[in-house]
Amino acid sequence: MRRFHWPILVALLLLMPTWCHASGASLEALPEFLRPDPFGGIVAPDQGGANFRTGLYDARHHVALKGWRGGYVSFQLLVKSPTPVAYSVEVLLTDPAHKIQTDLFREWFHFTDSDKHYYPDALVPVRGVYNSRLPEPDNKIAQQTAQAFWVDFYIPPDAKSGAYSGQARLKYGNNHLVIPIELTVLNGVIPAEDVVTIDHNSYGVSFLAEQYGTAYHNYSGNWFESDQFFHLIHAYHQMFYEHRGIMHQLGYGHAGKMGPEFAPVLAGSGRTLHVADWTTFDRHYGPLLDGTAFASSRRGPRPIPFAYLPINPEWPASYEFWGEPGYETEFVNVVSEMERHFREKGWTHTDFEVFFNHKKRYMGFPWDGDEVRFPKDINYFLEYGRLMKKAIPADSPVHFVMRADVSWDMEQEFKQLRGVVTLWCASGGILSFYRDAPATLRQRGDVVWYYGGPPSVTESSSAITESPLRAWVWGTNGYVHWLTVSPGDDPWFHFDGGGTVLVYSGDRFDLTEPIPSIRLKIQRNCLQDLAVLDSFKNRKPIDSLRSEAAHRFNNTVLDDWWNPRPALADRPSDQWQGSDIDDAIEHTNKALPHPGVMAWQSVHQYALELAGEAK
Amino acid sequence: MRTIYILSLLLLSGTLARAQDTTHATSAMRQELESAARVATVMVDGDVCQKIVTPLAKEYMFKVDPRNQWMAGDNYDVDDVAFNTTKKTLIRLSHLTSFPSDFNLWMPIDGHAGKIQVVIRNKNEMSQFWRWGDLYQDATPAMQTVLSTGRQVTVMDKPGWISVLAPVYNSLGDVVGLVEAVTRVNLDAHENVK
Repeated sequence: MRRFHWPILVALLLLMPTWCHASGASLEALPEFLRPDPFGGIVAPDQGGANFRTGLYDARHHVALKGWRGGYVSFQLLVKSPTPVAYSVEVLLTDPAHKIQTDLFREWFHFTDSDKHYYPDALVPVRGVYNSRLPEPDNKIAQQTAQAFWVDFYIPPDAKSGAYSGQARLKYGNNHLVIPIELTVLNGVIPAEDVVTIDHNSYGVSFLAEQYGTAYHNYSGNWFESDQFFHLIHAYHQMFYEHRGIMHQLGYGHAGKMGPEFAPVLAGSGRTLHVADWTTFDRHYGPLLDGTAFASSRRGPRPIPFAYLPINPEWPASYEFWGEPGYETEFVNVVSEMERHFREKGWTHTDFEVFFNHKKRYMGFPWDGDEVRFPKDINYFLEYGRLMKKAIPADSPVHFVMRADVSWDMEQEFKQLRGVVTLWCASGGILSFYRDAPATLRQRGDVVWYYGGPPSVTESSSAITESPLRAWVWGTNGYVHWLTVSPGDDPWFHFDGGGTVLVYSGDRFDLTEPIPSIRLKIQRNCLQDLAVLDSFKNRKPIDSLRSEAAHRFNNTVLDDWWNPRPALADRPSDQWQGSDIDDAIEHTNKALPHPGVMAWQSVHQYALELAGEAK
Repeated sequence: MRTIYILSLLLLSGTLARAQDTTHATSAMRQELESAARVATVMVDGDVCQKIVTPLAKEYMFKVDPRNQWMAGDNYDVDDVAFNTTKKTLIRLSHLTSFPSDFNLWMPIDGHAGKIQVVIRNKNEMSQFWRWGDLYQDATPAMQTVLSTGRQVTVMDKPGWISVLAPVYNSLGDVVGLVEAVTRVNLDAHENVK
């Protein structure tokens, strides 16, 4: 005993990882990309990053975080206990100026039917201290020994750079465990404007009644006319906006059925057709178009940049009159009224999209508005272009744009619809044949996005970053998740993997608003990094930045992200088959490995290095 | 006890009265639809209807490619002149009812007995039969009756729905399709807005 060196013992105690609590519960911090399971392990797709499990800790075993101003820094906490235990968790950060804000979320573990495993994704907001027990009663996981939490630190643009200290605290019984946190706020400010627009698409509003059953069933009267309903729509927009995204809501069906919230009420017919009532439309769109819906956002109030119009082949003009003078009169008169109304309201910061979503396979109309396959259908776009030109004054400050979602025939449409369609949403697979297209379209002033869907939770945590990165690498303006509000029949206990959801209903947790997901958070953090990376294009060639990001992401070169132009591209698109396209994108399928769990962390590191260079 | 009894009677009579009102309304709607459906048989041109779905679409309708689950839909095409001509007629027919209704066109598929497809739908997106997104489906017994006998049939299988199936004839006098004149007692303003 005399030979024992007390300083060494003290040092060992200090260095002993806080999570290694000998018995009872423990508290561990994890990087954002390592999603835990409810038994203390890491979910299988993220296990490639297990070596990074302790990567958050500095030499003093403090959680060491670093972030730019005007954005978020994230990590996770994991409470573990081999036996049932009541506990509380909180996260505190000391900021004398009270600028930096802390958001704590409990992670919901979804049982995923496809592989019979649990994955965390939905994030339930925690106000203040979280008090509960393990196993978590409502998640109903037998033998659960670990509960995860997501932590966001929001650093506003005017926060002071420097070091901030905080703690994550776990209390159970008379025991207290603490993980010290050091947040370094960097000098740089993340550009407020995103370099790629990430859109979250949705259809109609019936999903709200389905997912918010408590509010819907408890409301006496027509819930679809209630303030609650409109607030909920706005809450979805707020959620995506806060996560550096935008949202689209399509308001009509494939045969032209119009949701009453999406269009003004019309009256009359032929010459007398006119807008009779704007009330519901204005309740829905007014706060979105003047930005007041975002008054409480950390990003500041801002009108939504894009919105679908209700225009379709059956609205405002009746298809009964298609090709006749009455169709033109009805269309032009009402669209002109819309332009006047929007102008009078000052809604001049939004691109109002004339967008045809219908497909002829749904039997409403005889041409494809969405994804033209048969070249003859392009004539309909030309006709609507003519009608729009007639309806909208050339010097209008209101931005009406024609949008086309294109796949098979995109190359022809880029040519034939030049000056008519100015917003393109392209199939990623087919756009990958046409390497020059994004630059060509953007040079003439068009906006070009490509589309796909969110990755399942069964893919690695970095998978959600691949599409935004691809949009940036390709030089497009953005990317569209085709559906992000549809969680399936039972997301909580029999999850379908989440390929159509990034935002969940809070109804289960007595919340009247949507709640975010881990994938949405990781996507937001990726968009922050992309905005930072792109800001260095004044110092480095953009292709050099893209090359290095691709290399860090999945060890690829830029050529790997494009496919060679296939022979079928020179055949009329109505002679292609879907399997031909699969063959034509084989190169990228082979050349682009699935992103590993830490793929985006490597890109983030690159952005940090560049920021270091810039100092 | 007596008060409860009287209150119960009043409640019951109120419920019965409402049910009677609904029955009367349904009956009136049914009559209007049946009447309009008879006009549909006269006005819808079966020869034009037979030109709507293109040979290419028919060729691929039943093809299966394990590599391409959307093959049939991707190749679905119509003759837009024939489609528009018929659709306009169907829209006008819907004006014959005093309530919102749709007149949908259904056509059997040559060489595939017992199969039928909706060929034209309309703006209220109502149908008692269409399975959303399906290119074709099994003809119901009521549909088969109309196609084989030329007799108009009213179907009220789904609560609150009324569909009148009316035959469509071509110039040879053959029944080549049917019109589904359809409405709902309680409209759902948000259904099928997707």
